[in-house]
Amino acid sequence: MRSSSGPVGTATLDATPETGVAAGVRCVLEAVFDAVAQTRADATALLSRVTAGGRRPVSADLAALRPGLHLRLARCPLVSGAGFVARPGLLDDVPAWLEWWQSDSAGEVQPLLLDLDPQRSAYSDYTHWEWFALPRDTGERTVAGPYVDYLCSDEYSLTLSAPVTVAGRFAGVAAADVYLRHFEAAVLPLLQRLPGPAYLVNARGRVTASTDPGHLAGSLAKEPRPAASLARRRPVSEAGRRLVPCDGLPLVLVVAEP
Amino acid sequence: MKQGMGGARRAVFTPVDNRARVEAVVRRLGDAIELGLLADGEQLPGESELAGQLGVSTVTLREALMALRQQGLVITRRGRGGGSFVSLPELPGTERLQARLAGWSTEELRDLGDHWAAVSGAAARLAAQRTEPEDLLQLRRTLDELAHADDAAARSRMYGRFHVELAAAAQSARLTREQVGLQTEIGALLCLVLAQDAYREEVAERHRSVISAVQDGASDSARELAERCVQESTARLIALRLALPGTASGPRPLEGTHEEQLRPRRHGDSRRDP
Repeated sequence: MRSSSGPVGTATLDATPETGVAAGVRCVLEAVFDAVAQTRADATALLSRVTAGGRRPVSADLAALRPGLHLRLARCPLVSGAGFVARPGLLDDVPAWLEWWQSDSAGEVQPLLLDLDPQRSAYSDYTHWEWFALPRDTGERTVAGPYVDYLCSDEYSLTLSAPVTVAGRFAGVAAADVYLRHFEAAVLPLLQRLPGPAYLVNARGRVTASTDPGHLAGSLAKEPRPAASLARRRPVSEAGRRLVPCDGLPLVLVVAEP
Repeated sequence: MKQGMGGARRAVFTPVDNRARVEAVVRRLGDAIELGLLADGEQLPGESELAGQLGVSTVTLREALMALRQQGLVITRRGRGGGSFVSLPELPGTERLQARLAGWSTEELRDLGDHWAAVSGAAARLAAQRTEPEDLLQLRRTLDELAHADDAAARSRMYGRFHVELAAAAQSARLTREQVGLQTEIGALLCLVLAQDAYREEVAERHRSVISAVQDGASDSARELAERCVQESTARLIALRLALPGTASGPRPLEGTHEEQLRPRRHGDSRRDP
């Protein structure tokens, strides 16, 4: 997913305003992916060290991730939640675990304490959430959402995540939450540079940010479908619109055909 | 605890009616215990401190604690190390839930149902406009779990989760938060009506039709179906409430509630490795 160069990539980097904006959007989210990659590296090293010591990891081991998580929450203004989410069965002492930290409205960093007891909570199984299932099933990093995150933050969010593997086996995901209002604040100035209304859609056509009052964030743009543009990794024209992929991300910029 | 605020504030501003204040405190603490916000065995603050936090007199608080003791949700130990402690009975008795239901007036239940129908109806309408296959997967999974859940508490959790997921499918954080809040109030009560297999199946059927309407993008009919589903459940709760002793209609035998499955290993199962 990281191939920004290569014959296809370079061929499309002709400097239209749209490709410039798409690159800017990519840059915004790559900063968040950097934070995810650091958590991923920390978690991989920690779990490998414990396993090499000849025992299964326990939830208390994950406390070693906290300084790094707190640092990323403090340093990356877009990130409102960060952590490592264990594959159920990974840890020896608990069936499931989220080592998850969030910045509250006062800027304080707080742990997320979830009730993961299936006898009491309807939300104890987190393995079907896209931010967990996609990295697990594809082995790739993922942008999930926008979606209402009623598990962790109650916010309309994007979650960026990457799989953590130890000795070739999936151990969980490293992830970071970006509230959609913060994402909008970061990318709207880019979209506003374009001469006409424009919006970003995810791979399934959900509008993620927009300067087009007819296509507001959260709505579904039934046409045009972003799949072709994402698969070909270059701009395509469809249904009177121009679709420009944000290279390396499952996001497509949609503008009216000039 | 936020959800009990409305009741408590109402009570605070009706100084002549001490009963209402006692009931508001009983309901708030009872909900918190039922939901696990106050853990089994946890010590409650001292009487004067707790009364101060809740904005009621110590006399009112004592009456409320007495009612909670009668429901088996609080035990009081005297002497050194004594105080009031949360006590979650192993068995989630139907009687305990009926006592909770008796704390609601039919007018309050009707109003709760109106609020719930407004939130779920609006969520269904928007979800029909904004849905994609992925949203339906979660709703279908919850529907499936409801159809296979044996005990009333699990059915109630799945009922609530369906409506929370519906609000999330509407892409509305506000409606989702509102629905989560509603479920903390109504979730425990729903156990009383969902114990009946026939009604569980009816709810599952209604949820199935909501999913179909959402999938078809039929927003008006999605709204209507979701409203009807929750209105019907509220109507059943009101009928149960009217059948409880101490109301004008007098005591009548309750249908179906004896079927509620008891969960003897409530605290034991969860730490098993999946």
